[in-house]
Amino acid sequence: MTTIEKLNKSKTPIVKIDKSLDKLKGKNLFPEKLAKANEVIARVGLPKK
Amino acid sequence: MKLPRYEYSTEGEAELFKFTSEGNKGSIKKLVVYSQMLQQDIYNLAFGDYDEATNSLDDVLITNNNDSQKVLATVAYTLCVFTDKHPNVWVYATGSTSIRTRLYRIGITTNIETIRGDFKIYGLMKMPGRNLKKGRIMKPF
Repeated sequence: MTTIEKLNKSKTPIVKIDKSLDKLKGKNLFPEKLAKANEVIARVGLPKK
Repeated sequence: MKLPRYEYSTEGEAELFKFTSEGNKGSIKKLVVYSQMLQQDIYNLAFGDYDEATNSLDDVLITNNNDSQKVLATVAYTLCVFTDKHPNVWVYATGSTSIRTRLYRIGITTNIETIRGDFKIYGLMKMPGRNLKKGRIMKPF
């Protein structure tokens, strides 16, 4: 199978890389939401697989 | 999934995604963020309007760009890319309001059979970790 055929059959969509997003890496962009999510998971845990 | 979606871009780790919503209010930049949580292998999914000039995000603003289904489908597609790069992780997601959580839950329930081909989805109830099923009220999912 050619690379193009593989890409077309891939479940994962093809995505462009945008270097301008690098400046946001490592920043806590939604601090309140993340804190709330951590609180919920700490309280209830994860479902059993 | 073969739902209408916007083209999007990401950085090398596939934890940040950017796309542009096009609707009756014009072009609005959106950012999808997968943030590592305290517990290992769990990421929080959040998205909102992105102001490039100030580098700020707003996940509460009601855009009313008349394309919510296309926006949600785009966010769902970013999940495919994210989990391709980060396999075997948990992704935690909830709406910024109960109305939005309901909207997202409807979107998931409508496409649940397709989604189940690739993902396991759990909703949070008083008894945690129940599988999401049609007609069952859950938040967050």
